[in-house]
Amino acid sequence: MAIHKGRGFACINYPIGMNLGGDPAQALVHSTPDGKFMVALSAIDLGQGMKSVTRQIASETLGVPVEDVYVDTADSDTGPHDMGSFASRGTHRVGNAVIRASAEARKQMLEAAAEELEVNASDLDTDGKGNIHVKGAPSRSITVADTAMAAQFKQGRTLAGRGIFLIPPSDADAETGEMTPVTCFAHAALVIDLEVDDETGDVEVKEINSAYEVGRALNPKLVEQQLIGGAWMGVSHALYETTEPQYPKRDHGPQDFNTYLMPGPGQIVPHNIAVLERPAEDAPFGGKGPGEMCANPVLPAVANAIYNAVGIRCDRLPITPEKILRGLRANGGARPQQVR
Amino acid sequence: MARTPLTFTLNDAETGVFVVPGSNLLDVLRRGAGDLTPKQGCAQGTCGSCTVLIDGVPHLSCLTLAETVEGRRIDTTGGLAGGPDLHPLQQAVMEGFAAQCGFCTAGMLMAAKALLDRTPNPTRDEVIEAISGNLCRCTGYEPIVDAILTASARMQGRTA
Amino acid sequence: MTLAVETYPTLREAAQALGDRARYLGGGTLLMRAVNYGDQSFDRIVRSREVDRTVRSEGQGIRIGAGATMADVLASRDLIALHSVARIVGGPAVRNMATVGGNLFAASPYGDFATALLALDATVQMADGQNLPMESFLSGRARMRGIVASVTVPRVGEGEFRFAKVSRIKPKGVSMMSLAAVLPGVGSGRLGDVRIAFGTMGPTPLRAKAAEQALRGRGLTDAEIEPALKVCCDGLQPADDELATEWYRREVAPVHLKRLLLGGRR
Repeated sequence: MAIHKGRGFACINYPIGMNLGGDPAQALVHSTPDGKFMVALSAIDLGQGMKSVTRQIASETLGVPVEDVYVDTADSDTGPHDMGSFASRGTHRVGNAVIRASAEARKQMLEAAAEELEVNASDLDTDGKGNIHVKGAPSRSITVADTAMAAQFKQGRTLAGRGIFLIPPSDADAETGEMTPVTCFAHAALVIDLEVDDETGDVEVKEINSAYEVGRALNPKLVEQQLIGGAWMGVSHALYETTEPQYPKRDHGPQDFNTYLMPGPGQIVPHNIAVLERPAEDAPFGGKGPGEMCANPVLPAVANAIYNAVGIRCDRLPITPEKILRGLRANGGARPQQVR
Repeated sequence: MARTPLTFTLNDAETGVFVVPGSNLLDVLRRGAGDLTPKQGCAQGTCGSCTVLIDGVPHLSCLTLAETVEGRRIDTTGGLAGGPDLHPLQQAVMEGFAAQCGFCTAGMLMAAKALLDRTPNPTRDEVIEAISGNLCRCTGYEPIVDAILTASARMQGRTA
Repeated sequence: MTLAVETYPTLREAAQALGDRARYLGGGTLLMRAVNYGDQSFDRIVRSREVDRTVRSEGQGIRIGAGATMADVLASRDLIALHSVARIVGGPAVRNMATVGGNLFAASPYGDFATALLALDATVQMADGQNLPMESFLSGRARMRGIVASVTVPRVGEGEFRFAKVSRIKPKGVSMMSLAAVLPGVGSGRLGDVRIAFGTMGPTPLRAKAAEQALRGRGLTDAEIEPALKVCCDGLQPADDELATEWYRREVAPVHLKRLLLGGRR
């Protein structure tokens, strides 16, 4: 028996969003009578942090405390239209729509405050703590709450905003096939270290080292968690998960989560992450978001590491112990690749 | 259909419901007693999201015949917080970003509570073993393990 | 589907109440799963108020009440040899529910405890008083009518019982294969009447009788176990399933048996 160590590398250029006849996202923002702001979206938070990030974006744009912003991603009947949470588009597309909606609401908020303070709206600023003041004269101020009350009960004015962000459809040029499906890309590079047991074909992933360029990390802790959890899923896709374990034979689909394999808490892989922040020009506060690429580069890196360890080039997922063992039998044993 | 009366203690409250024979405890807690904190993930006993404590011991409520809890004590995540004060486990999960979609969280919390009730200072391996019947699809488990160790340390007056 | 739940004061009465359309409720991990998924093959759930969770010495063996859970096994000092088995059944919540009696009926890939009991040559006591050796119990399991009351496990010498569960998921995963071995005389360098059982290598746990035979009178060295490894799949009926193919199981069974006998990575 021998345990063979392998190292594999993969890098990725990942398009943000998609373009199937255009990629719009919308947001609606309005204030309650006591100066809180509601953001209505149809984009869904499925754990990646959409609510947290759009809340931060709205708070920053409106100039009010983050505690005073509520994000409702209830449903596509009560919220404005959105293409959905997929294609790594959430932060970029929805965030941009939230900025536009929040900017319009802020404009109205400052106009309402200007009327109360009897100044020009262009002379006003927010302190981010719930107050609106005259630039250079902080004592001439009104709270956001009082502004909202005055707007709705005195002035008859809404503090609301509509926002849409659209990446227009891009058709392929009939002559050249050229098109511009996306406006920005995120990037990552990832190294996997693993061990292969040449008697059983078992693989144990030992360490992950990665560098991710996601624009500005709008919520660094969320980004880190998304990358850690995503890499786990990448390992799972690379080595374990399948609904057709004996593809192309359709028999023997898993019956439960015990037979649909996913690595357990005893298989946590140390993962060192470097997040490189290069704010993107057309992204909300420069943030592109990690999205799907938190899992994707793990797969080729695992495949490369297995090749590096035992010389088996596996091109069908998941790379099960059986596929490796068959490869070892076909090759007459392990053929460790010397180059690391 | 004839229904069977069933009484038990749910998070300190005496609770009485009528159950359809053959109902599992999870359905009775959610639909009968209105406690929506335990979740149904698989109804097969393979995901752990329905984990509750019966007489202090973790059980899968989806695989528990409701009639078998007559007169017993059930604890769910719904009873963890004391008013506005989160349980140290909840606090640590929140601060440690140990929940993403949150579907596994209620089961994880009860599995963790069962551990800490008996083993206030668990090792990392003991924490891993304690949550080994609970699946998480988002976090990769590490933040959850860390959060449970953090809560343990705080409850013992240590710094994690 | 309308289900009836019937509760009887004793196990014997519950056993008498069983019929074609009835199932007995043990720990619930098998039966309630079937209920939740609308299994139409039964409409009565039979329970007994008499649930025997005791563990006690009895003659040359240890008697385990069929209602003892995996957690009960882990709490018993008498059953220390079986702790390595009970510990790998499910997660903590399952171990608080799943019973020794129920595990005897668990279909592959479940039933690791039954695999261990087969290697240990345990005896099954039915509620109607009938006694069955594990091997006969398992071979007749599909046609079984009745309720298991208890299991009696012969004592083994220190270090003579070994168990391994081969699973890709850690710390809790389902068995791709499990192996249990009783190795009398292991300390002396010459093995006596060895018993080896494999789980998930057939419709029920099965003994590897050719390997048992090949180990008799031998010691645990690479060279001496080699003949046993060669024949360890004789009599087994591994199948393709969602965890592995028959081919893979046959390829790695000798590897895992070698590691069980000699120690080593798994």
